[in-house]
Amino acid sequence: MTHQTPAPVSTVSVTVNGTRRTFVCEDRTLLVYAIRDNLDLKGTRVGCMNGDCGACTIKLDGQAVKSCLLLAASADGAEIVTLEGIAPPGQLSPLQKAMWEEDAFQCGFCVAGALFAAQELLDTHDDPDEEDIRKALIGNLCRCTGYEYMVEAVKSVARARRQGGTCDSSVD
Amino acid sequence: MTNATNQPGAGDIEPQDGLVSELRRDGDLIMTGAAGYVDDLPLGHVAHAAILRSPHPHARIVAIDVEKVKAARNVLAVLTGDDLVGMVNPLPHLFDPKIFGLPTAEFYALATEKVRWVGEPVAAVAAETLADAERALDLIDVVYEEIPFVTDAVEAMARGAPKVFDHWEDNVLAMFPFEEGDVDAAIAASTHVIKDVISIQRFQAAPMECRGYVGDWTRGGKITIHASTQQPHQVRTKLSVTLGVTEANIRVVQPRVGGSFGLKFHGYQEESLVCLLSRLAGRPVKWLETRAESLLIGAREFRHEFRVGFEPNGRINGVHNRSIGNIGCLSTWGGWSMVYPNGMSFPGPYAIKNYKMESYGVVTNKAPWSGARGYGKESATLVIERIVDLVAKKIGMDAIDVRRVNFIASDQFPYWTRAKHLDSGDYQGALDQVVELSGYHEWRRVQRDRPADGPLLGVGVAFDLTPEGADASSLIRGHDTTTVRVSPNGAVSVLTGVTSSGTGNETSIAALVAREFGVHPSTVSVFQGDTDISPYGFGSFSGRSLVAGGGAGVLAAREIKDKLRTAASVLLEVEPGDVVFSDGQVRSAANPSRAMDFALLCEQIYSTSYVNPGLLEPQLEATCTYRPGNVTMVPDEHGRISPYPCFPYSAHVAVVEIDRETGYPRVIDYSCVHDSGTVISPKLVDSQLNGAIVMGIGGALYESQPFDDKGHPEALTFKQYLLPRATDLPTIRLGTQVTPSPFTLFGAKGAGESGVGGALASVAIAVNDALEPVGVTVHQLPLTPSRILDALLSSDVAR
Repeated sequence: MTHQTPAPVSTVSVTVNGTRRTFVCEDRTLLVYAIRDNLDLKGTRVGCMNGDCGACTIKLDGQAVKSCLLLAASADGAEIVTLEGIAPPGQLSPLQKAMWEEDAFQCGFCVAGALFAAQELLDTHDDPDEEDIRKALIGNLCRCTGYEYMVEAVKSVARARRQGGTCDSSVD
Repeated sequence: MTNATNQPGAGDIEPQDGLVSELRRDGDLIMTGAAGYVDDLPLGHVAHAAILRSPHPHARIVAIDVEKVKAARNVLAVLTGDDLVGMVNPLPHLFDPKIFGLPTAEFYALATEKVRWVGEPVAAVAAETLADAERALDLIDVVYEEIPFVTDAVEAMARGAPKVFDHWEDNVLAMFPFEEGDVDAAIAASTHVIKDVISIQRFQAAPMECRGYVGDWTRGGKITIHASTQQPHQVRTKLSVTLGVTEANIRVVQPRVGGSFGLKFHGYQEESLVCLLSRLAGRPVKWLETRAESLLIGAREFRHEFRVGFEPNGRINGVHNRSIGNIGCLSTWGGWSMVYPNGMSFPGPYAIKNYKMESYGVVTNKAPWSGARGYGKESATLVIERIVDLVAKKIGMDAIDVRRVNFIASDQFPYWTRAKHLDSGDYQGALDQVVELSGYHEWRRVQRDRPADGPLLGVGVAFDLTPEGADASSLIRGHDTTTVRVSPNGAVSVLTGVTSSGTGNETSIAALVAREFGVHPSTVSVFQGDTDISPYGFGSFSGRSLVAGGGAGVLAAREIKDKLRTAASVLLEVEPGDVVFSDGQVRSAANPSRAMDFALLCEQIYSTSYVNPGLLEPQLEATCTYRPGNVTMVPDEHGRISPYPCFPYSAHVAVVEIDRETGYPRVIDYSCVHDSGTVISPKLVDSQLNGAIVMGIGGALYESQPFDDKGHPEALTFKQYLLPRATDLPTIRLGTQVTPSPFTLFGAKGAGESGVGGALASVAIAVNDALEPVGVTVHQLPLTPSRILDALLSSDVAR
């Protein structure tokens, strides 16, 4: 029974975490699988395959998106940042550091969503309050923490930025 | 007190003394994507599995034709139930009902003859890619003969209901009775009597990572399985029985786990299916549960029918509760057994002398239960606290004062009930603290003064007594085992039988062991979850990992410390009793200048024992088992047992606002004070508590797996199964009370579960409190806008 024809494939080029990468994948391949399997970046995770949980969140051309809702081929030419590329190797961003210090995660499976969503908030709001922060996290599910210390972590970054006067929040 | 154990008491570590503020281990790996969950591991040329599941709630399997699949492109292996019979043994149960003298049934990993729930595995395929495997499922032809089914537990108990298991008398699997005194007489003699019901829906653990297993059955006959599980050693034991392979040839590795909350107990069909498919395919085979598959798993669906008799002063004379648990179909997953703690938790924190709790487990044609945080104790808390609140409303007394009247007093511990020997506590103190923390009386004032046409406002109080550390007659045991090994350069390795599903117990266990040796926790490595490395242990459940695994680690460290002390006394020329361990050094307390590095001492033992007189054998390794005290399996002269050693608790105040137009409820304020005994890592424990509370809020208001009239589950994604999101929640205020357990090594009682029941109950009570002025109640959880709106529309007052 070999009547099935092979699925059509595309060549996709992206800049991921600062490096140009080219891979071939089936047209139907979802971006989350291309990132995990073709690019071997496992920090982008599959939690629901339905855009509900945010574990597959990446930054695509400057915007936090859920990679389970996009076809890999649609990302051709895009600039992608994954969990692995938020900070240079061996470093943590202020938000990553705050998430750790505030114990804002437990199992850690979902952290990409919160990190990208909250960073987007911090990048666009000078002084977000609790309501802003909770709204920013609305697209991400976390089952461990009740979001409580996640909110605290984002607050602490905003507070440090106010007090320290530093604008560069992306990398420490 | 009949069971004052031989274990050292709480004075061992002062409550404040044990506190550490270590950051959670591996936070840097987690933050940068290097955490390594089961789907992330490079495990060779992996093939992918998919499972064909029953589309019917109840049907006979007439025929299965897999010929088309066998010929399909990229398909490597296919299995049906008929293939398994004769090839392997049936799956052992996690809790076989027959150990309790109850009816049971035998199950293979794939259905044989009959399917009994929508989603039951019928066939399994391994293929090159997941897409290939899923496509192959469409090529399997199954002929079913549908037969009558039942999904409602009360209907399932009725005479003439379809029987889920033909060889059973009826659909009642279990009725666990818990009784003291004479409840009928006590209620009959009471001034007031209330009869009512409250029902908790089917809702589950829903960890962000679904289950997943990668099996690799090599030609040499060895099996390695990487499993997102709470219990790697039990997976190995049960695989050995199923597959007929000695345990020594099976290695189970638990990689990092993305949450579990009871869902990842052992006993699942896919554990052995990936191994069998791997043998057939000649390659490792990976199966990852989809979210829709994961949402099949049930838990917690209870209907409570209760009667309570009480006095105008709030004293509760007697409570009778009949709980009917809709446990879905029996399976080898052990979740049905939460019917037991649902009953044994009665009557919670109250000194009620006459009570009768009958906890039924009834099988239906829904998917089976697996574990879920709370394990039935949250269900008991919901009904007990609802009862207290109804009593208060009836006599016009504040529910806080009704609790005051009925609480077990702090000088009554340890305190016996039918199946609990309560360790220690100050229940009134915790309640007082949360009343203060929440501004309870201020909220009551706000409630009184609010405009008559504004949103409805309700305040709910609940007290959650949470038995922990379960020791059951099965491979769920309360004790655990830890090995501590110190190397010549002073590095400490801790290998423990308890596991972490993301809770962080490895951080706290390292801190406890480091504290014994006076070294920094960063020099202590913790290894868990690999059956080739860790001692046999029971994994994680029932809030026991730190108590049992940490306790065993402390005992093992002390054994090594004795050797180190002897050697140090020789090398430093001081008395053994004078040797102290601190700051990475070993020194004389009397003469601190006599000191050496901890690492140098270790090196000296390895390199000069047998040469240097007085140094014992050159081995710094010990394995100890720690069993918390306060577990009594043999009934005492009154027929009482205590299968749980520890009883942490939490007191909750929830404030809920309800929109009159839409019935939309919203938790606007939340406070909780908990007592987990001695706390080792306060931040980690508080974070657990936050998660437990939010899971309870989810259960009270949002989460549900309803079934349609065809017996199909309706929630297949998180768009139907609603988890609480950040915007659904207020800031949660936490407070801590510490009454150490006198029965555990360092006084810890366990954390992680307490809070689910308290949140369920406080929110449900708050919603009903908000509805009181309009004269209606809702008693079927979740308390959705539509249910609340229905109640509002039925109200004469509202009209």
